[in-house]
Amino acid sequence: MVWTRARRHWAWALTLVPAALALAVLLTVARRHEPAPPGTPVNVLLDDFHVRQDAAVVPTGTVRFRILNQGPSTHELNIVRTALAPNKLPLQRDGLTVNEDAPGLDHLDEAEGLDIGDRRTLVLRLAPGHYILYCNMEGHYLGGMHAAFTVR
Amino acid sequence: MPRSPSAEVGTASASAAGTAPGGRSGIGRLVPRLPILGNLRLDRRLGWVIPVFIVLVTAIVGYNARTTAQERGSALVVNIAGRQRTLVERYTKDVLLVVDGFQADPDKSGAALHQTADALLDGGSVLAPQGNDLRVKIPPARDWKVRRKLDQDRRLIDELTRTGDRLLEGGRADPGYAAGVTQLRVLSAQLSSVSNDAVGEITKHTEASLSRLVRIEIALGLLSALAALAMGLLLRRAGAEQAAQFRSLVNNSSDIITVLAPDGTIAYQSPSVQRMLGRRAADLVGTALGDLVHPDDQHHVIVSLTKLVEAPGATANFGCRLQHEDGSWRHVESICTNLADDPRVHGLVLNIRDVTEQAALRKSIGDLFHNLARRSQGLVDRQLELIDELERGEVDPDRLEELFRMDHLATRMRRNAENLIVLSGVEQRRRWSEPVPLHDVVEAAVAEVEEYSRVQVAGIHDLTLPGQAASDVAHLLAELVENATSFSPPTTRVEVSGDPVGNGYVLEIEDHGIGMSDAELVEANKRLAAPLAADIAVSRMMGFHVVGRLAARHGIAVQLRHSWFGGVAALVLLPAVLLASAGEHPAMAPPVPAGGVVSPDPLLLAEITGSGWQQRAYLPLSRHAAPAPHRGGDTDPAAEAGEPVE
Repeated sequence: MVWTRARRHWAWALTLVPAALALAVLLTVARRHEPAPPGTPVNVLLDDFHVRQDAAVVPTGTVRFRILNQGPSTHELNIVRTALAPNKLPLQRDGLTVNEDAPGLDHLDEAEGLDIGDRRTLVLRLAPGHYILYCNMEGHYLGGMHAAFTVR
Repeated sequence: MPRSPSAEVGTASASAAGTAPGGRSGIGRLVPRLPILGNLRLDRRLGWVIPVFIVLVTAIVGYNARTTAQERGSALVVNIAGRQRTLVERYTKDVLLVVDGFQADPDKSGAALHQTADALLDGGSVLAPQGNDLRVKIPPARDWKVRRKLDQDRRLIDELTRTGDRLLEGGRADPGYAAGVTQLRVLSAQLSSVSNDAVGEITKHTEASLSRLVRIEIALGLLSALAALAMGLLLRRAGAEQAAQFRSLVNNSSDIITVLAPDGTIAYQSPSVQRMLGRRAADLVGTALGDLVHPDDQHHVIVSLTKLVEAPGATANFGCRLQHEDGSWRHVESICTNLADDPRVHGLVLNIRDVTEQAALRKSIGDLFHNLARRSQGLVDRQLELIDELERGEVDPDRLEELFRMDHLATRMRRNAENLIVLSGVEQRRRWSEPVPLHDVVEAAVAEVEEYSRVQVAGIHDLTLPGQAASDVAHLLAELVENATSFSPPTTRVEVSGDPVGNGYVLEIEDHGIGMSDAELVEANKRLAAPLAADIAVSRMMGFHVVGRLAARHGIAVQLRHSWFGGVAALVLLPAVLLASAGEHPAMAPPVPAGGVVSPDPLLLAEITGSGWQQRAYLPLSRHAAPAPHRGGDTDPAAEAGEPVE
């Protein structure tokens, strides 16, 4: 068989395409076998004006909050430890936002400026107790953007 | 032999060199025709670079205009969206004021809120930021994030106005009043938050667009700069190649190109002058062209160039001799164009061609004509001599009449031979210098014509012509008189008369013949004014060419025009310089043609003739009362013998 220029090109193509496919499969399999990050995962969904998480009680230890803002407006997520009820958090003097520095609130962490579709992960080592997740943008908390959370 | 110079001044022909080289295709074929590029020939690469450059510049301008318009709209949208917060606060305040019993118009502020929210989302007109009830149109939101936020904004406004309506309906007495007020404030806060969010998104989008605009413009600008650079380099190379090609053509051309400055000095000289004249171009620059021109040719060269200088853009042809470095003379022909108005040249451009070989060839042909003509002339002279002797001894009228006819035929043959000599360009040798009465010259011319009896000479003034010109004038008149008798009925007369004018003396030969058409007259006058070198055209109108040449020798003007009697009138203007009153010599001797010989012996006109004029020129109208002929003593013996003349 005469190896013309066109045939050589085809041979290269037939060699490279299966090789690329094999590499992709290998990478995918290797990724699946990656060790899972530590901590209990908790998926938190934000939207106007709700906070929903897929677990209300988690064991003590490291907790990974995987936050997704579904919009349509920008939100934030604050995590506080408190004995107060979710809808009884102390407000600022404007009466529209939570006073994060008020006694009785132990502010642990926050994810700010989450635009539509943004994902963020907060990893916290939580002791047993009662926690509240809320958005403290103007009017959002009062609109119902809060959720309770317990660590045992 | 000096070539007869002829200067023809005319408009320069605008034969611009073609610029469209073959083998081009597509846009590349069109580009070299851009007027800004002039005659610059471009290669294929440049043919594509220029369109690319034009496309890039157009893209920059177009994209800039489009984005600027868009950003202007975005700025307006940001402004209007920012106003939402104020409108929300006003509505809330209006509702609470009305509930508390104060005067306010929450419906109006609520309607403004709805209208603005709708316009921000779907486009439309809203109150302009500057107020004064002006309205501006804003485009609909395109970005999906912005649209979702504005949609949320609109939903919250609906909820806000519903809450407001409930408060307005229930008033303070309503049990849900406090909750309603709180909800109103919360909704108001949420609206502020969402509005700010939307404004932030719009602003972010606008900033991203601006940033993209800057990046794209920088990229396009860089591409344009590269295209411009490539274009410049290619143009420069094309120009250099063309200049090199031009230099090569000029340097290797057999012609030489000379640019004369307005003061007559050589401003540019092509190097090919080395081959033609053996001189270095650099040595000639700054010298006068006249220094190279043969003294005999300088007059007509100066005349030709002077005429040309007065006609910018015109061309003139002239011939002359230029001196070679070794002292020899080269015959050249020059086409000269006046480009004094062209700032790139600012002078007269001479394209000079060496025609020495052609001149030598013409001279040898002329010499051949001359020799043949002289042989014929010699034989005819002998024949005429013999006929004269026979005429003198004959008493029988019939035989005498036959002899007269033979005499005239021989005379015509002799003039044909003389015509050939004139056309050959060889000057006739002259051995006389005494003035000849004009009347005698006219009579001699008439006597040359077969039908002399039809010619009536009257009113010729008592003037003389210098001997040097008399023979040529008689020949010239004989041609015109014969033309008149030949082209008029035998029963009519041909009148020859004279009249002094301001600048000389006019002889008029008028016939009553069939005349000439306007076109024929124009053609004949052209030949008379500017006789051509001997060529095939001459054979058709030989008489006029001969007359033209003879006239040119002495500065005589000859013109034909329609006669009042239906025929043709030939006007011969003898210049004043040729004329003198009887008994006087002309004030100024006529120009002696180059190569001509003037005999110191004051011989009679009738005695001349190396070149043709014979004693019969003195025959009066009554031919046979003429004095005995005196055969010219200088006639070439070889010619007389009918032998070739060396």
